[in-house]
Amino acid sequence: MAGKQAARQQGTNEPPVKASAAAPAKAGDAARMLLPADCRMAAQAALKAELLGALEAGGIVLDGGQVERVDTAALQLLVLFRRELDARGGTLGWHGTSDALNEAAGLLGLAQLLNLPATALA
Amino acid sequence: MSAVDLTQFHKTFFEESREGLDAMEAALLALDSGATDHELVHTIFRAAHSIKGGAATFGFADVAAFTHVAESLLEEVRSERRAVDSGLIEVLLRSVDCMRAMLERSSQGQPVADAESEALRVELVQLVSGEVAAPAVAAASMVAPVSGWNIAFTALPHLLQTGNDPLRLFRELQQLGRLEVVRAFVTDSAPAQLAELDPSQCHLGWELRLHGAVARADIDAVFDWLDGDCELTIAPLAEVAVVGAAAPATSGSPPAATGTPRPVRETAAATGAGTSGEGSSIRVGIDKVDALINMMGELVITQSMLSDIGEKFELSQLGRLRDGLVQLERTTRELQESVMRIRMLPIGSVFNRFPRLVHDLERKLDKRVKLELHGEHTELDKTVLEKIGDPLVHLVRNAIDHGLESPAQRKAAGKSETGTLKLNAYHEGGNIVVQISDDGAGLNHAAIVAKAQQRGLIAAGQELSDAEVAELIFQPGFSTAAQATDLSGRGVGMDVVRRNVRDLGGSVGVRSVSGKGSTFTITLPLTLAIIDGLVTAVGSERYIVPLTSIVESLRLRADAVRRIAGGGEVFHFRDEYLPIMRLHRAFACNDAVTDIEHGIVVVIEEDGRRVGLLVDDLLGQQQAVVKSLEAHYRRVQGISGATILSDGSVALIVDVGGVVRLGQRSKAA
Amino acid sequence: MAKILAVDDSASMRGMVAFTLRGAGHEVTEAENGQLALDAARGGSFELVLADVNMPVMDGIAMVRELRAMDAYKGVPILMLTTESHTEKKMEGKAAGATGWLVKPFDPEQLLATVKRVLG
Repeated sequence: MAGKQAARQQGTNEPPVKASAAAPAKAGDAARMLLPADCRMAAQAALKAELLGALEAGGIVLDGGQVERVDTAALQLLVLFRRELDARGGTLGWHGTSDALNEAAGLLGLAQLLNLPATALA
Repeated sequence: MSAVDLTQFHKTFFEESREGLDAMEAALLALDSGATDHELVHTIFRAAHSIKGGAATFGFADVAAFTHVAESLLEEVRSERRAVDSGLIEVLLRSVDCMRAMLERSSQGQPVADAESEALRVELVQLVSGEVAAPAVAAASMVAPVSGWNIAFTALPHLLQTGNDPLRLFRELQQLGRLEVVRAFVTDSAPAQLAELDPSQCHLGWELRLHGAVARADIDAVFDWLDGDCELTIAPLAEVAVVGAAAPATSGSPPAATGTPRPVRETAAATGAGTSGEGSSIRVGIDKVDALINMMGELVITQSMLSDIGEKFELSQLGRLRDGLVQLERTTRELQESVMRIRMLPIGSVFNRFPRLVHDLERKLDKRVKLELHGEHTELDKTVLEKIGDPLVHLVRNAIDHGLESPAQRKAAGKSETGTLKLNAYHEGGNIVVQISDDGAGLNHAAIVAKAQQRGLIAAGQELSDAEVAELIFQPGFSTAAQATDLSGRGVGMDVVRRNVRDLGGSVGVRSVSGKGSTFTITLPLTLAIIDGLVTAVGSERYIVPLTSIVESLRLRADAVRRIAGGGEVFHFRDEYLPIMRLHRAFACNDAVTDIEHGIVVVIEEDGRRVGLLVDDLLGQQQAVVKSLEAHYRRVQGISGATILSDGSVALIVDVGGVVRLGQRSKAA
Repeated sequence: MAKILAVDDSASMRGMVAFTLRGAGHEVTEAENGQLALDAARGGSFELVLADVNMPVMDGIAMVRELRAMDAYKGVPILMLTTESHTEKKMEGKAAGATGWLVKPFDPEQLLATVKRVLG
């Protein structure tokens, strides 16, 4: 719940799509972005807007430690984000991945495409 | 063993099924009269469909099987593969009857299907073109001696929008065996730019391996709902010879062998014991409940006001106390009315039987009848409502059988070939009036007199007024089973109708105009539970006489009373001699006034017949809540019930009908 | 446990479904036709919708179509409760956006198994 609210705040506090998440970070450092507890379809419009912002930053570290609910659509969104980030020469890093996130990515065989830490696969 | 006890839903199921069948019947009859309304067809189909679903779910397999065939026939109508004709309506109406009977037997825990229902079911099966889709037969289980399966699964973009998530599918596959994702990939349908992605569109594909001796059917079951939402190829892992398994499917359509309904459990037997003592329930409009709650609120306010006065009472507050008591009385009365209204149901539920009855009678008797229903919303006490059905059915049958003429006769008499039968219900004073009128030939004066003479009810050559002639048809022994037709008679005469109506505290009479028609009028009390009564004293006892039946109360001088042969007493009252009924004698009361001059005579009337009751004194008017004597003691002649007076003592309520009959008998004797 | 919307014009079926699901710890809201279900859906975020096909006022298929047009219900599983073994009805439901179906008659265990299957 807290995560979801945090994400929403982030999304709404920054009207333009610009790399807001990266703004507080120092140049060169990868920006950090917190994934909400509920990443399912209803949350994805906001999530997508944030990811688009992160694309501009060139690199990003996702914090998936709070993710409780996730669906295929969420993982697809991240996969396509990673794909475009790669194409732009950026990198996707992870700081914390919840069990729910690891389980879903493992089951769908998307862990590699998401560049998830190897521990993800049990 | 089911963890959920389904029997708790049986009563609701039976109630809604009865309603469904009524709706079905009404719609069939509407279709019959020429309307070709799709909505009607849908209504009929929906009712059958719901009954089938419920019956199967709640374990009434016979009902489900029967309704299934009826539904198949209806499906043909709905999809316009079958035209509606009178033959079809007839068979469907019979099906409604049959389902009604089956449900009735189910609710009583009796065997459900019988020879009749089976014959009708077979008739329906034959009507349904082609074969009736039997409840899906489980496809032969395809146990595959394989080490596993290759599954190629690519989502079509709209997959996620059906609420089917591959995550869920993969979890299910995982239950079957060890799932290995060989490759996951983004399909070509994916937009190049993240910005253009609609997250609810799916652009992923997978090559999977499912390891283990998994049956193909089980995999198909997982993908059962995804027909048309994905590309799917399922093939055995190794080239092991597959016995009994279908060739690897390459299309996205799995066989339809999944989701097979399980055999219905026999839960009916278990409920049999519980249904016999089934308490009847009542559906109450929310407005009535709200009214009750309002009243209750007022009562609470009044109560707190009164207890406030009581806490520290001073004489100066007498006025307030009186106001409070007046308010209490008013609120109590309103509350009482609101509570009674809960028992009130619209008479429409009884009227609704008649379109069908009239439909059937028209055919049997070769008559043409237009049925008009008025006042369906008039409300009656539930108990009265349940018991008024049979008398009304009898009167309607009678009107069509004897009242309305054949089309030929009507034409000859210059009337429309189609007769009109009107049912009307309305409030009048404290009563409900139900009228059944026809525009037929009216009572046949001469024939009735002749028959009454033949039966010894009247002497030959006796001159009778119209009203007296009309009264004759209500006499016991006037109509007999021998002369009654199959339809109107069934061995039951108008005397039984009158008795049934009287048992409800009501009365029935007829007015008739030769060549113009007859009108039967039934007058019923609003409710059986409460009466307005006059409290009388007889010795140390109290008797309550229903106010509605009282004509007058008077003191008689001794010389106004005449003794007649047989020990009876009569007195002159408005151009007639009325028998005197000494209540103290009839009910063996001690210390009562025996001298007529010192007592009071209460003249009561029922169906135009009057009797004078001798009582000691009149104590006042009071509403009485009727308690059944039969339920608490036993039936007593001349007494319809008991009630509790404000001082806590018990008073008996005089059964006016019974007493008048007793009195008339003594007069005749 | 999930918030579930149960839609059926038959009080006995609806009662059975709701009772079974509540027994399993779910929070169930009942509606007796598609229109009322839509009203309920707007007011609450349900994670699963179970709906009869044949209903007065608004049938199950029209209801699915309407729900799918709402952002909050794009990906929410909607199961049709149907006695029709005909594929056409199922396909009609699917085309409208239904997730799957539960064929009547079903007993409480089947219902719970299917719900569990959908909710994952």
